[in-house]
Amino acid sequence: MSQAVKSASGGTSSPLASLMPDASKMHRLSALLTLVLLIIGFSLASQSFFSVNNGLTVLLQTSVIGLLGIGLTMVIITGGIDLSVGSVLALSGVASAMVIKAGLPVIPGMTFGVIVGAACGAINGLVVTRLRIPPFVATLGMMLMARGLALQLTGAAPISRLGDAFGVLGNGALFRVVEMQPNGFPKVIFPGIPYPAILLLLVAIAVAYMLRRRQIGRHIYATGSNEEAARLSGVRVDHTKLYAYVMSGALAGLAGNVLMSRLVTAQPSEGVMYELDAIAAAVIGGASLSGGVGTVSGTLIGAFIIGILRNGLNMAGVSAFIQQIVIGAVVIGAVWIDQIRARQ
Amino acid sequence: MSNTPLVQMIGIEKHFGGVRAVDHVSLDLYPGEVVGVLGHNGAGKSCLMRILAGAMLPNEGEIRVGGKTVTFADPNDAREAGIETIYQTLALADHLDAPSNLFLGRELKTRFGNLDDARMLEESRKVLARLNPNFKNLSDPVSSLSGGQRQVIAIARAIYFDTRVLIMDEPTAALGPSETAMVSDLIRQLRSEGIGILLVSHDMHDVFDLCDRVVVMNKGRLVGAHGIDEVTKDDVLSLIVKGELPADWSARNLEAAQ
Repeated sequence: MSQAVKSASGGTSSPLASLMPDASKMHRLSALLTLVLLIIGFSLASQSFFSVNNGLTVLLQTSVIGLLGIGLTMVIITGGIDLSVGSVLALSGVASAMVIKAGLPVIPGMTFGVIVGAACGAINGLVVTRLRIPPFVATLGMMLMARGLALQLTGAAPISRLGDAFGVLGNGALFRVVEMQPNGFPKVIFPGIPYPAILLLLVAIAVAYMLRRRQIGRHIYATGSNEEAARLSGVRVDHTKLYAYVMSGALAGLAGNVLMSRLVTAQPSEGVMYELDAIAAAVIGGASLSGGVGTVSGTLIGAFIIGILRNGLNMAGVSAFIQQIVIGAVVIGAVWIDQIRARQ
Repeated sequence: MSNTPLVQMIGIEKHFGGVRAVDHVSLDLYPGEVVGVLGHNGAGKSCLMRILAGAMLPNEGEIRVGGKTVTFADPNDAREAGIETIYQTLALADHLDAPSNLFLGRELKTRFGNLDDARMLEESRKVLARLNPNFKNLSDPVSSLSGGQRQVIAIARAIYFDTRVLIMDEPTAALGPSETAMVSDLIRQLRSEGIGILLVSHDMHDVFDLCDRVVVMNKGRLVGAHGIDEVTKDDVLSLIVKGELPADWSARNLEAAQ
């Protein structure tokens, strides 16, 4: 959908119509409002919630779900689903750690991990388009295979002692100001902008540009909107789907490297159920599981809603079990509101 | 009418399991000619049209465009050969707006390879205005448009590009009287520009009004191909229903010739 065109020509019908946002903008607006209300609510409930340090914590936690969610958004717009991202995240992180442990420098090592993620995505895409296996089943299979491979390769043991350089991506920050105190301890004057947050922003901008301004993005929407029509119009739907799954796998690989770098340890059991948070982020952000609808900005808002819910409930001392109940209810609520609106 | 056919379909066969959907059918189409393709539902006419549109591969047979043998692996190949199709389902992506649908698969791009939405909007406005001067909702998703407007987009998409052969599958089924008249005018205009048109229709009035020839399919076979002035509506009905002309047809035609 050409958002730029939409806003430019919104004034042609009537002045009132140009003020009325369309359905997908409306959804994002309501999600954004929910986000603001959550922040206000949690700030009142806990004094330490609304602080720079906690803000950075939320940013870090959200960046992993955000990266997974952006990848999933592309797949969901094509009308598919990718249940494997949590496991691919673990396999990619483990793959990076293993080659770095074997002596490869950090940057090529992490690149290798991302390529492993993309390869998992490519297998997903080929199974969906060539073997004609429904995405739910194909990526469920990959979910088990990638997790099994990560556990098998490591003997289910974490890989640690990966060196300081491995931790930079997850723990470093831009513009961090640290002052050495007379007592020899460093004092953080400004914590800086964490690298994961910068990475998330860059990926979000790149993918939003791709979806909105590039042919492949237009074809991703068309494929999910009406696959047969897209095919008859000359869209290579198999190629388009494959692209979406590869991107989802690669972004899961990137998220895996961020997470493992943050822990400075590769955990083969990391990221279990992350796919559900990522799907929830996309759906809360307005992506339709029946395809054709979804935006990067919406998914980002969704990821922050989930990140803040988890963080705020933690800060308010709510148990992890109750948190699951709340997030489950939020996802159902978001889809329900979407359904009501679609029927009008 | 020139002597080289735009398109020749020779001995086309398509079967699904044991069912012969298209059974050894040959069909020529000349420039500036409107050929009505008739038959019951399931007679094989849609299947034959899909083969020519590149949406389906035949099991046997040959397609020639301008005398040269071609193979259409997908709809893009057919469109590159100048064969455009208006499907009965319209084949529109509901969540996209009119320009996105019009240029789907053939998007205009800027120098940097970005989508040129401004130019696509401008071009769409021009071609849509030619078909329907009241068409304004260019940036709404096409799901919110009326049946007639959606039809107009599907037609615009088929005639905007360098079209030589146009396949129209029930182009007026979803339209009101004034829009139907518009489509009829358009067909005459395209014919005068030398475009060959295959018109799949159930509407006998449209067929006799617009077509130069009719071909009739029955159970996958081509049972008749006649100039429009050689047959009456009853003759064509007989071909559709029974797969053969009425017994007195040749006698009548002989009389007419004398």
